[in-house]
Amino acid sequence: MKTREIIILFSVGIFSSLTVIVLFLLSEHTVHRNNAFTRRYPHHPITKKYDLSVRFNSYYVSGFDGDHLYLGNKTAPLHLLEINLKTKDTNHIQLTLENNNFTFRSLKVKLKPPYFFIMDGTVPCIYRGRIGDWKAHLWMENYAYFSNAIPIDSNKVYISTTDSESLMTTLGLIQKQESDTASIFLNSDLLEKQFDGVFDVDGLMVSSSKSNSQGYVYYYRNEFMLMDSDLNLIKRQRSIDTIKIAQLQIVNIENSNVTKFNAPPTIVNKLAIMYEDLILIKSDRLGKYEDEIMLNEASIVDVYNWQKESYEFSFYFYDIGKEKMREFSMNDTFMIGLIDDKVSVYEINKEQFKTTPRNSDEIN
Amino acid sequence: MIKFNNIVDSIPTIARTLLIILFVYAASSKFLDFSNFQIQLGQSPILTAYAEWVSWGIPILELLIVAFLSFPKYVYYAFFASYSLMIMFTTYIIIILNFSDFIPCSCGGVLEKLSWTEHMLLNVLLIAIAILGIVFTTNKNHKTNKLL
Repeated sequence: MKTREIIILFSVGIFSSLTVIVLFLLSEHTVHRNNAFTRRYPHHPITKKYDLSVRFNSYYVSGFDGDHLYLGNKTAPLHLLEINLKTKDTNHIQLTLENNNFTFRSLKVKLKPPYFFIMDGTVPCIYRGRIGDWKAHLWMENYAYFSNAIPIDSNKVYISTTDSESLMTTLGLIQKQESDTASIFLNSDLLEKQFDGVFDVDGLMVSSSKSNSQGYVYYYRNEFMLMDSDLNLIKRQRSIDTIKIAQLQIVNIENSNVTKFNAPPTIVNKLAIMYEDLILIKSDRLGKYEDEIMLNEASIVDVYNWQKESYEFSFYFYDIGKEKMREFSMNDTFMIGLIDDKVSVYEINKEQFKTTPRNSDEIN
Repeated sequence: MIKFNNIVDSIPTIARTLLIILFVYAASSKFLDFSNFQIQLGQSPILTAYAEWVSWGIPILELLIVAFLSFPKYVYYAFFASYSLMIMFTTYIIIILNFSDFIPCSCGGVLEKLSWTEHMLLNVLLIAIAILGIVFTTNKNHKTNKLL
């Protein structure tokens, strides 16, 4: 009787925990696996050079100037770290603001050589200064609120903001003409609403100075689009993934006026950058014949050429320990990833990242 | 009838009472904040697809166990059910803590304030209580069975 009871206890215990484990594996499977697309992995598009410790994990990419990488810091907003990627020399820069009487909430520093921009869309204000001089003058204030911004020209900033009439997210430009007064232009046709026009259109703003074009990559669907320097749509393109309609479940909680996700959304495109005619997208979704183990060791980056409207290839960007890259960027020579408190530096194989011969010069 | 001068004899009663209090509390706090509970479950990386079912199923199951715990006739099986439910919950926590991308919390009321280690300790304690209940109830049933 006693032993029988112990056996029953054990089997009930094992059965119960197995049930939960099976549930977990099933849900993992549906989240990551997708057999409808296949990736191509050529040999060595990037070669590891070194990892450089920057001591804090609060850095973000501000931009490149030649082979100098500049990192901004979320917790020290007016501090910049300059890294010479060839010599590994680092330099700490303190930015100064002229006539500053604002209270900042989310300062971001972004480079657009030879200028740097300090922006806070909650104030709202934008400062601009010259790289090397590091003193910033007020460029725009109290004109337009924005949630995200990247400078794309010496007098032009690409923004995402909430349209005050439709209350949906909209892309736009803040620019200054000769008159020295800021003007705003919103193109509300760019983002295409699928549910509420806020959550479902969320995504990543990217820009490339060399091709003089801007991009927007949706988080939750397999689509990105390209715009010219006046934010006119050039084209929409699909990524290799198959999710056309954002898989979101959004609910309003009763009595509290709060909107939340009802289920974890499937993120198709997690990170994106633009390099000339190429759009590089980090995706956690697995295609056909891909080993799941890789997701524990590296991030998968897919490379698209939007001029040719093609998927080019994919490569792995390796983790350091258990930490994945949280941001990446590249210039003509290097690709860098921010991982925990380190900068992972790779050299790119220029043959593979070669872009189409410049027929876009005619357009510009 | 029987005098509980023996501590061993009172173990099933104590276990019963503790489990009843726990499950009544857990179930009612879920029902009181139901829409929130449903959302939290939906955000769980394990149960997303079944959130609708599970969100009704778990509190109902808890109340059902309470009902069975209240009838001496079914107490033995109710202990098994509590044991099984607690094992499932513990496995769930272990998976969430170790293998999941992010950690949601769907516990009701005061339990939400517990840290995950405290949570584990509480779970282990409750599993132990259920086992004690099982072990000591059988002896009693055995006797009554004989009498019948």
